Formats: sequence, C-alpha cells, structure tokens
Amino acid sequence: MRRSRAAVVHGALVVVSAAMLVPFYWVLKTSLTGENIFQYPPALLPRAIHPFYYVDVWYGIPFVRYLTNSVIVSAIAVASNLVCNALAAYALTLRFRGQRAVILVLLSCMLIPFQATIIPAYLITKELHLLNSHLGLALPLCSTIVCIFVFKASFDAVPRSLIDAARIDGLPEWRIIRHVMLPLSTSAVATTVILSFVWSWNSFLWPLIVVRDPQRQTLPLGLSTFLSYMENTTGALYAFCIMVLVPGMMLFLLEQRRFIEGLTSGATKG
Amino acid sequence: MLSVQTWSPFRPSAFAGLVHYEELLFHDEVFWTSLWNTVVFMASSPIAIALALGLALLVDTRIRGRGIYRAIIFLSYPLMTVAVGVIWRWLYDEKVGLINYVLLSLGVTRRPIAFLDSYEWAMPSVVVAAVWQIVGFFMVILLAGLQNIPPNLQEAAALDGASAWQRFRSITLPLLRPAIFLCLVIGIINSFTSFDLIYVMTGGGPNHATEVLITYIYRSAFVLSKFDYAAALTVVLFVFLLALTWLANRATGGEAGAVDAAE
Repeated sequence: MRRSRAAVVHGALVVVSAAMLVPFYWVLKTSLTGENIFQYPPALLPRAIHPFYYVDVWYGIPFVRYLTNSVIVSAIAVASNLVCNALAAYALTLRFRGQRAVILVLLSCMLIPFQATIIPAYLITKELHLLNSHLGLALPLCSTIVCIFVFKASFDAVPRSLIDAARIDGLPEWRIIRHVMLPLSTSAVATTVILSFVWSWNSFLWPLIVVRDPQRQTLPLGLSTFLSYMENTTGALYAFCIMVLVPGMMLFLLEQRRFIEGLTSGATKG
Repeated sequence: MLSVQTWSPFRPSAFAGLVHYEELLFHDEVFWTSLWNTVVFMASSPIAIALALGLALLVDTRIRGRGIYRAIIFLSYPLMTVAVGVIWRWLYDEKVGLINYVLLSLGVTRRPIAFLDSYEWAMPSVVVAAVWQIVGFFMVILLAGLQNIPPNLQEAAALDGASAWQRFRSITLPLLRPAIFLCLVIGIINSFTSFDLIYVMTGGGPNHATEVLITYIYRSAFVLSKFDYAAALTVVLFVFLLALTWLANRATGGEAGAVDAAE
C-alpha cells in the first residue's frame, strides 16, 4: 500500500519533471545538430553532434560584446544594491522622527511594478543624458526596496548591546555597518546579490527602451535582435539561446538552496 | 501629469485636460482588446496556482529525490524570459515544431497548427509558456506554507478519523491561505508586467490577439512616440492594479502581503 503510493507520486513527478525539461532538451539538441530543422519527422535522439553553431555565434555576432555589457551592467547593479540598501536599512534600524512614515512610503512604493514607471524613468534618464550608457542601463535597478527590507530584518536581529559596545569603542557609524552589521548578515547579502543579479541579468524591457546603439546592447537584447532578423530555422539562434541560459543555470545549480530561498524571500517581502 | 497634457519631443507641452482618456475610452478599440487580454492572462494564474498546489503536495510527501524534483520544477523560473520565449517559439513552430509533431503523430490534428500566428491559438499558447515558467515558483512558495503547518494537527485529525480529503479541506487549505494569496498577488502583478515573453513570442500580434496593456504602452510610447497617450494608459494600468490588489486583500481578510512585511 505505502510502496504503491510512493510509486504513484514518483510517477506523477517524473512526468512533470519531463514536461519541464523537454523544452531545454529540444533546444539543446537543435543547437548541437541542427537536424530537425531540415529533417522530418524529427529524430528524438541527437545524431552527428557538431559545435558549428556555437562557433558561429561566438564569431559571427558580437556575442562577446553583449556578454561584456551584461556583465558590466549586472556588476554595477549588484554593487550599488549592496551599498545603497545596506545604508538605507541601517538608517531604518535607528530611531528618528517620521520613521514610520518613511517605512510606510517605502512599502507602498514596493507595490508599484517597475513597468508602470517606464515612461517617467525614460524621460529622467534622457534628461540626465544617460541613454545608451551602462550607467543608464543599470540606474533603475540600483536600489530595490525589497532588498532594503531584507537587510532591515537581518539588522534588526543584531543585538543592540553589540552596537552600543562598538559605539563606546568609538567606531564611526559606517564602520559599524561594515565590521559589525554586514558580517552578521551574510544571508541577507546573499539574497541581495542573487536578486539584483537575476533582475539585472534578465532585464529586457528597460534595455530595449534605453539602448539604441548596438555597441551597448546586453545579452537579452542581442538575442531578440538576432531573432528579429533570422528565420526560426537558424541553428545559431538556439546555440545563442543555450549560451545565454548557461551562466544563470550554472549559478542556480551551484547555489540552489540560496537561490530558492533568496528568490522566495524577495517575493514574500514584496 | 503627462497624461493630461499634449506632449511631443519637439513641442513645449500644453495642458490638454482629459482628451487622452476620452480617446482611450471611447475611440480606441485596441485599448479594450489589450485590457481584455490582460484579464485573460490574469485568469491563467489560478490555473498555475492549482497546478503548483498539486505539485507542492506531491513534493511534500516523504519520498526519495524530492530535492531533485523541486530543483527541476523550479529551474525555469530564474531564467531569462527572452530565451524562454525563443525556446517556446521553436516548440510551437508550424512546420517542424515538437508540439505539432506530437499532435500529428497522436492523430489529434490532421494539419499542423500555426500556434503563434493564429488568432485563436496565440493567446493560449503564450499562457502555457507563462504557466510553464512560473509554476515552479508558486510551488516553492506553497511548499514553504505547507511546511509551516504543524504536523500534529494532521495527526490529531487523522486519529479523529478524518479522511485525507477532509484533512486537506479543513486543515491544509485554510492554513495555506496566506501563501495562496501571495501567489495570487504575484500572478496579478505578473499579468500586468510580463512584457518580455509576449514581445518575443508574438510581439502582441496577430492582429492584437496577444496585445496586453504593457505591450500596448510600449508600442504607444516607443514605437509610435505618443508619450502622452502612453502615460494615460499607464495611469489606467496602475489604477486597475491597485484596485485588484485591494480587492484580493479584502477577499482574504488582509492577512498577508504588504502587511506582513511591515512587521
């Protein structure tokens, strides 16, 4: 009875897992062989594997440039998220007049999705003359309210006596943050890094609006541009697709637990 | 502000009153289409949540390899949506796509279906891809909710002779309400913001069959350069979103979401 129930559960989960994985498998197969572009009915197992399409993507389109742009933008976003949000969260753990009001404003702003603000954001970026620049690309992602609250929750858990002791020893506030608060909240740091990386790495709508210059395109933008002037039946498109997905997937598989925790805590706080 | 002005990059702005809103409400069919499509897209999130709930219950049982299943099902969520769109375009391809091949060999259809180019099929196709991407995320949220339910409640009810279905109905579901509500809010917001997938898969076409508010805003502002009109659209989107979140919050007794984070 118990065994048969376990078998049913396994069966159901295997079917679902297969449904989740088949799309990846299919694209991977196409990118390695290109065979079901030219052949019908498609073969289920890959034959005659060759890396031709990958070489094609690496040299044929400015893949390296897209990659560099993506890395730069993500690095700016991650770094500024860490700094700005840690500072803001520390300020919120201190007592000051109007603190509740500030928290309330932040909370209600958190409900506004970025997509609802693209037009003013675009006009501001234009006024700052940051269109077509890495900084402009990273700007809207530079501080996210969710991460402020992730940090705040972790800072609140630090015992007050520790902070008071540090003050008595004459540490300035910014060194308290660096040497007392941050080492004690590694999981908040990890969450912030993961969230800001995933958001900036995957972001598409904003680069699409801000960047006109092909020299400044990021990976998702490069992929969609490539898609727009290629046929569906171009093997290189799928090689490109896989190459774009691999970094994110590797990170996810290596840091699976943190990733899942980070992304869900981002959601539960938002 | 911009929504009540006339504005273009080449002229100074002027006050225009509610002209844009009038145009949008009474003279613009695409607006109504996109609004309706947004609602349809939103209606898909209860399906995703139900699926995710089933999966969460399955993964929550004590079996070997549950960590692996969880990872596989979650895998698609943090990936770049643009690439996900490319993958699904390939699966839906009319001539050589996998889905048409399977349907043909099973004898479901006689002729291949051009999923993304047909007026009836485009929206369901995009919805399937969207559900595929988000279901793992919902599952993880619900799983966390399930694991917060104290196991002795279940045991006590089982001792009292409650069947599995009764236990699910009167213990699991009520205690999961905050988690379900959270998924619902995310689903609603998602239906207003999922631009990437639709842009890549169909671009809002064919003939606005998959045009949602956000793609329409993008098109108005950055393709047609009607910034003022797009601003009016954004205001509509925003009001709609606020009203829905408020409604959802009331419907569940305001026990989760933003209120939670405040504590």
